[in-house]
Amino acid sequence: MENKQAAYYITAAELSELGFERLPSELKSKDHLIYSSPAALSFNSPGAQGFGVKRAGLAVPGSVMLLVAPACCGRNTTMLAELGAYADRFYYLLQDDTDIITGRHLNRISKAVAEVADFHEESTGTRPSCVMICITCVDALLGTDMERVCRKASEHAGLPVLPCYMYALEREGRVPPMTAVRKTVYSLLEPRAKKSTTVNLLGHFAPLRDDSEIYELLRSIGIKKINEISRCADFDEYLGMAEANFNIILNPESRHAAEDIASRLQIPSIEITRMYRLDKIRRQYELFAGALGVEMDDSAFYSEAEKRVKEFSSKHAGKRVAIGECLNADSFELALALTEYGLKVTEIYGTVSQERMAYIKRLAAVSPDTRIYTNLEPSMLYYDSGELECDLTIGIDAGYYHPDAPNVPWNLEIQPWGYRGLIGLIDEMEGVL
Amino acid sequence: MKGLLKVMSPFAPDQSGAASVFYDMNAITVICDAGGCTGNVCGFDEPRWHGNARPIFSAGLRDMDAILGRDDRLVDKLKKVSDKTDADFAAIIGTPVPAVIATDYRALKRMAEKRCGIPVVTCECTGTNLYDEGEELAYMELFRSFTEEIPVRKGRLGIIGATPLNLSDISADRLLRSHYEKEGYSEVMCYGMGEGLESIRQAASAELNIVVSPSGLAPARWLEKKYGTPYRIECPLAGEEAAEAKERLDGRKVLIVHNQVLACSLRDRMPESEVTVASFFKMDRSLMREGDVRVETEDQFMRLVAEGGYDAVICDELLRRAVKKDAYGEWINARHFAVSGNLEERLCEL
Repeated sequence: MENKQAAYYITAAELSELGFERLPSELKSKDHLIYSSPAALSFNSPGAQGFGVKRAGLAVPGSVMLLVAPACCGRNTTMLAELGAYADRFYYLLQDDTDIITGRHLNRISKAVAEVADFHEESTGTRPSCVMICITCVDALLGTDMERVCRKASEHAGLPVLPCYMYALEREGRVPPMTAVRKTVYSLLEPRAKKSTTVNLLGHFAPLRDDSEIYELLRSIGIKKINEISRCADFDEYLGMAEANFNIILNPESRHAAEDIASRLQIPSIEITRMYRLDKIRRQYELFAGALGVEMDDSAFYSEAEKRVKEFSSKHAGKRVAIGECLNADSFELALALTEYGLKVTEIYGTVSQERMAYIKRLAAVSPDTRIYTNLEPSMLYYDSGELECDLTIGIDAGYYHPDAPNVPWNLEIQPWGYRGLIGLIDEMEGVL
Repeated sequence: MKGLLKVMSPFAPDQSGAASVFYDMNAITVICDAGGCTGNVCGFDEPRWHGNARPIFSAGLRDMDAILGRDDRLVDKLKKVSDKTDADFAAIIGTPVPAVIATDYRALKRMAEKRCGIPVVTCECTGTNLYDEGEELAYMELFRSFTEEIPVRKGRLGIIGATPLNLSDISADRLLRSHYEKEGYSEVMCYGMGEGLESIRQAASAELNIVVSPSGLAPARWLEKKYGTPYRIECPLAGEEAAEAKERLDGRKVLIVHNQVLACSLRDRMPESEVTVASFFKMDRSLMREGDVRVETEDQFMRLVAEGGYDAVICDELLRRAVKKDAYGEWINARHFAVSGNLEERLCEL
């Protein structure tokens, strides 16, 4: 008899057998209510942990944000306002009951933008480089033409005004909010003469770890300036990103931004992915170098990582690991990597997508019994941590499910990358095992 | 400009207030949103959630659900959950999305009750109102839907309006129980905090209700009218810093900014001081004295402090950044979770 109060899961082998076309309803977030547990917080409220639209919109140096929304949409920004770097950068134009029906708030935006810019200048001594207007589900439903509203506000206030669409309703749409905001933050770049020795890294709102080998490898092929928006000290430096010879996309959510930059500024792009499997990291660098038509020697970095993996594997092979999705990795790719390194991945709390099916199929071959759960499914209310014990959890959400097991959150804002990212993860795992 | 916040950030909204009242009940709570409101309610406005997650769900609305008004899909999703749980009832809480598309909550309630076979209450929150409005809606829905006509039991006391959003402490119910047990009540029912649906069913049996925050006033008045239960308005608790300071403010001019009931109760313990009570939230006329103010805008608050000449301001620390340092004598921190999202370090009896 089915236990009606048990968390739903499917094994890697079962899921691989079914394929994405026959994905069980429990794994499709549109088919059920979304369970709200601390493990699901980053889905429901991306800004609560890390970068959501509001914080991401402020990636442009010197910018401020005017949130135009009902008060509820700005509530968790109270937390951000307490963080030093954001204390003076958030402003709110609250919508009332009439506004959300009639859209009359749109008539007040220009004046509000001017007032905010003047107030900011008065209180900090600096005029904002631009005002980001963050709008929410209400304006999505009203069909507000925010581009036009921003143009009008820009003329009125005499500074750039840009829209940030925090449209949670369109989370699974063609341009989800975190994709749209990546385009927004680069949209102030204007055509400049190109410098063949400059590149931009697109994808994150915080920089890569300083020790990431990608910096050294790029320098080894003659790149002198590597731009990341989070490292731009001021607006002028940000504008200098338009001089790049090409963009490197590190996160698929930046593809839309890269396409826009390519069409407006004629800067082409190349995409690479964060991975934790040694051979795949090496292969990717080979392909990357091939695409650029250069030679790139990553052997020293490879050897360093390989040595570290071997040491770790010899000590910890067979340890049981549960992997979440609130972490700086693709849960399924990481599961595959750790399985290849000799660990036993017992559980994954992740979101199944078509792209991830390739990992799941490989995982089914090497670890068919790995259980796949989704944080969002209502039956996770009944998740029993005693059912499958583990020696280590990776990701905040995995730590939530197994509070007594050692945990590596692996979700710092500074981003891990490549061989050094893998070594960093191994160091942290070793630190808690 | 009305509605423009340049220094402050928004306070807890109505959906957070409603969810707070349902939190300790054995309920399936569904926030009718796309996800963000649920994230705010749980991740920010419900301090009990991190240590004790409850069945709170987002409806997971997407654009076409809203455009086409697909309430039937929401009901289908709710049924999947209700089939697997033993909840006493389901609560559907509104947000800006259903407010914009004018969701018919009565129809939604009927459809959901019929399909799921459990009682359903709905709260027409809009996200544009404040938490106390949502709490009031939730209490009213609960009492109207579930309270039964039963005789009064001597020694039974009801407490309305105790939530972490009001009292800034997740164990305020225990302190309240202990306080009123010392007053001689043998059975204290703190509705919505540490009590389930049964306490609501038996609410008519209380010999007295205590209203500890403004959101409890309308429900207490309704219970008095319907079942004859008398009520008293008081909050016997306050944060340690405020509770201790009251002794040394004799003869001084003081501004207290909090929920009106807590602020007035604190004022009652300071008979030798000249106290003004102000609140950003509900202000009931019956409790207001000359000079008391309902604050509606950030500018109004700045002016109130700047022009009042107060020796002391008792108010959440977060709002201190809105006023000039030389505008007041001393600032005494009285946490208000609905304002700052911070809990009191220690809640004390006044």
